[in-house]
Amino acid sequence: MLLKTVFGAKGYKVIKNGIWSEHPISSATLGICSALAVSNKVENAIAMSAGVVFVLLLTGVLISLLRKLIPSRVRIITYMITIASGVTIVDLALKAVVPTISEALGPYVGLIITNCIIMGRAEAFFVQNDTYHSILDAIANGLAYTYTLVTIAIIREILAFGTLLGFQILPGTWMSWAIMAAPAGAFFLLGTFLWVTRTLADIEPPGKG
Amino acid sequence: MKEKICMIVFVLILGSTWTTALVVVDKYTRPYIEKYQAEKLRKSVLGAFGISYEGQDIEAVFSENVDVIEKGDKTIYRTKSGAIAFNITGSGSQGPISGVMALESDLKTIKGITIVSHVETPGLGDRVLEKKKLDTFKGKKIVPQLEVIVAGTAEKENEVQGITGATLTSKAFEKLINTESKEYISLVSEGE
Amino acid sequence: MNEMSLITIFIAAIFTQNVALTYLLGMCPFVSLARSLKTSFGMGVAVIFVIFLTAAINWPIYHLILVPTNSGIIKYIVFIIVIAASVQLVEMIMERFFPALQAAFGIFLPLITVNCTVLFVSLNLVRQEFSYIQTLIYAIGAATGFWLAIILVAAIYEKLELVGDVPKGLKGPGIIMIITGIIALAFLGFSGMV
Repeated sequence: MLLKTVFGAKGYKVIKNGIWSEHPISSATLGICSALAVSNKVENAIAMSAGVVFVLLLTGVLISLLRKLIPSRVRIITYMITIASGVTIVDLALKAVVPTISEALGPYVGLIITNCIIMGRAEAFFVQNDTYHSILDAIANGLAYTYTLVTIAIIREILAFGTLLGFQILPGTWMSWAIMAAPAGAFFLLGTFLWVTRTLADIEPPGKG
Repeated sequence: MKEKICMIVFVLILGSTWTTALVVVDKYTRPYIEKYQAEKLRKSVLGAFGISYEGQDIEAVFSENVDVIEKGDKTIYRTKSGAIAFNITGSGSQGPISGVMALESDLKTIKGITIVSHVETPGLGDRVLEKKKLDTFKGKKIVPQLEVIVAGTAEKENEVQGITGATLTSKAFEKLINTESKEYISLVSEGE
Repeated sequence: MNEMSLITIFIAAIFTQNVALTYLLGMCPFVSLARSLKTSFGMGVAVIFVIFLTAAINWPIYHLILVPTNSGIIKYIVFIIVIAASVQLVEMIMERFFPALQAAFGIFLPLITVNCTVLFVSLNLVRQEFSYIQTLIYAIGAATGFWLAIILVAAIYEKLELVGDVPKGLKGPGIIMIITGIIALAFLGFSGMV
């Protein structure tokens, strides 16, 4: 396949895992926190996803470059310092470039630090693989996160406000679904999303916890 | 022992490298952020006065319509018609609320209020700080004092309708408005 | 200076400002653990302890060290390291005094480090300008709110497992999200209270 030749056999597997079979949200149920909170408007979802992809790439590159040098006992702290710094940069960048979106996202930008996806990939992949594949993995997982968030946001924004990226799509007489603007709506949508993707990818339900 | 030193040194180098990087990024972004904050304040003042600035240069509209009067560490904005506006800052229910309030030249009637920043609960407390609700404050009197009515209907000219799901925010906002306006009104009067 | 009364802070943190149900945080442990009431109960208590400890340490660090030296920019790095260290400490204490419990938690104890709620509480003490006492009360309240949310969802999930016929794709994380959504709706009813 074309993709295999472009990225290499291993690269292709990395991408496929990241975007579909081992989708961070559907399969490993990571990174859900922020997926719920900022998905009320598409512009917020895009900004948040951009932040996550940036930190994923930054962490991926740095950790994979330094992987032979990091003393094993302090690897978690290393991830944390790197991720926290990356997030500080994203926070400053958002405030400077798109301040209204930064205000809308509020404290949730800082919470990218605790987004399990980044920490998870760092420990499971970046620290054990070379930089090229780490970059692919970061992009694949980042894309998976992005399309999940944006899909949920599109549904929520249209139903709750009748707009898409600020443009009025539905007629003004549409009775907005207030529940979609409320946290409960996010839970229901994510539950449905998980239902669809887990059924399609045929993921085994977890055993008794 | 050597292993422990290795670990500590590594973390220290990592920490300091990153802190330096952050300080650099901060220096670079700070001017943009401050410029935005200053512009936002101007927009809030113009908004409170009800002066439109759509599609125009904020600086130009501002300097054309508003005089800035400094009294000590307090700032008062005044238009040609004698209306004044000032910063209102205080404690909301979840944290600080900051905004701009404009009064007509009689110093009794509210011309407009805009909110600059707040941390009230999204979807609950912050609904009383939305533009739609703030517009209902226009024309209301602040003497003897403004009252935000949560339980019951607002009828008198110094009463504004609050929202039941935002009781704390409504009450805190009411207190903020009354305290700040009294302070600035006496400041304006003593100057004259 | 935040003028909220301590009682209001506490009640609000549990019902109208619930970190899980209003702010949608702490979901990672939710989807993994809300399948068993027993584990959820224990996890909630551990979280209460960690959040209290980290808030108690981060407030003085922020207000007495970072602010006077104008180093607010490294607050994210400092807070998360304090959280990691606190969790390590809690783990060591549990290993010493409650080994059985610590074994039962397994990997989830260290995972409290990346629980969004812990960092959120620390970030909020800055954002809402709480005093030290207000911070401590807020921390206990927020963590109790989380505990309350997770045991409610777990209790319902367990009953559902027994009597319901949940579709395969919905089992586990999917249905947990839906249950949480319904509880979140229920908690919206508290919004007139505070």
